[in-house]
Amino acid sequence: MAEKEVVILGVGITRFGRVTGRNPVEMAREAGLMALKDAGVDFRDIQAGFCAHVNQPMGTGADCFAELGMTGIPVTNVEVACASQSRGVMLAGDMIAAGIYDMALVIGVEKMPRGMVPLGGELSDMSYAFLMGLMPFPGTYAMTAQRHMHTYGTKPEHFGRAAEKSHRNSRLNPNATYQQVYTLEEIMSSRMIADPITMYMCSANADGATATVVCSREKAKKYTTRPVLLVGWAGGTPIYEKGEPMLAEGPTELLGKKVYEMSGLGPKDVDVAQVHDAFSPGEIFAIEELGFCPKGEGGPFVWGGNTEINGKIPVNTDGGLVSCGHPIGATGGRMIAELSWQLRGMAGPRQVSGNPKVALLHNQGLGGTNVMIFKM
Amino acid sequence: MGASEAKKKVPIKEGLFKVHTDEEEGYLIGSRCKKCGEYFHPKRVVCANCYSEDMDEVALSTRGKIFTYTIARTSYPGTPLTAPFITAHVELPEKVSVISLITDIDLDKVKVGMEVELYFWKAREDGEGNEVMAYAFRPVSN
Repeated sequence: MAEKEVVILGVGITRFGRVTGRNPVEMAREAGLMALKDAGVDFRDIQAGFCAHVNQPMGTGADCFAELGMTGIPVTNVEVACASQSRGVMLAGDMIAAGIYDMALVIGVEKMPRGMVPLGGELSDMSYAFLMGLMPFPGTYAMTAQRHMHTYGTKPEHFGRAAEKSHRNSRLNPNATYQQVYTLEEIMSSRMIADPITMYMCSANADGATATVVCSREKAKKYTTRPVLLVGWAGGTPIYEKGEPMLAEGPTELLGKKVYEMSGLGPKDVDVAQVHDAFSPGEIFAIEELGFCPKGEGGPFVWGGNTEINGKIPVNTDGGLVSCGHPIGATGGRMIAELSWQLRGMAGPRQVSGNPKVALLHNQGLGGTNVMIFKM
Repeated sequence: MGASEAKKKVPIKEGLFKVHTDEEEGYLIGSRCKKCGEYFHPKRVVCANCYSEDMDEVALSTRGKIFTYTIARTSYPGTPLTAPFITAHVELPEKVSVISLITDIDLDKVKVGMEVELYFWKAREDGEGNEVMAYAFRPVSN
């Protein structure tokens, strides 16, 4: 392969939290400086910048990067709803693989508005549903969950178990919004939001920022002897399937196949994963589509503890979206940070045992889906 | 407005459905691709199946089955629905999925696969006194 190999050289993250009152630029600076220090590089080494955000004003990227330095590099804003930051890293990966740059910095930043997330979709062919209030945010997850229950016999408690595990993991993660363990009973009896999804199965709106230094393997040799390689990545939007209701936010299964093929790895090789659980049923859908368990068996698979930190395939070791909270444009960088730490053995009390070598990311939203695979 | 002018029924979103009149049943407006035969709702200009732009505007079936659903327990501010209410994907015989409100059934009785039929209801009145109509599905009454 003529393409250059790509490395995740450094990661940074602020604490995620509800309505922190912090300025987005200040959060971006904190995450950016942390990633530069983690990588051991100077801002002057960065040749291109990407800034992922959804709710911030125009020009946010240039403002955030100016906090770190003004070297004249191009800074591009990236918006793919909940999958923005990881798409920024993928774009940086594309450019580094193509030999256009050696090193790029990707910042994800979000200061969430108060109250319910404003609905998107005014422009889409579902605008009637939005106009009528027929699609509250957990609506698609809830309807996919109901269909899953109908088709495979999945139980609401299976979704509850995924949330219970996430909240337990987040107690080991000082950056998470939720810092509390909830019992399965507390989760199941918390306020119903959209059946079968209860309040503690939902990610909280949060403010926060993340950052990732992406680098060519050659360049990375100067900074590390143990690089985290980005060995497969693919992004996508929903594919029209004749006669099928459009429930999915993206073709996760197809993207999984693409990244497995690109990396020469398969689901059995994956030692740790981060999947998009804006609502906890998401964990069950994703692990099936990514091939960690057969279709329809995700519920019992999670119920049996297979996605625990010490399970067969640890998923969302940092608490996932459900417990970390969801600063929309920054979330992908939180997933990348956790996987980088897991591969480098730096995840502290959340560390997956046995020196994990392969990590998979799945980040999706109304804007599309990203799947990435990393190797130590 | 002239005193003799009758109140009109207007759809909440133009082009989405035809409200019933005394003479004609109402229906959801769809597209049928003349080339591949695929149906869509709402109507489309470009066929998502074969990319043809040769589309017919058609009246869709007024009966279908619940493909999946959820019960919304929170209403969105500024929308005409008050929680709790049932929201569903209704699958029509043309293999078209329609997002709809489901009414006239207890929340704990709704099931995947249930047969439902289309009807129209008044969501509000506009500034000119017209009835702004929305659609919904309810269990088949027969």
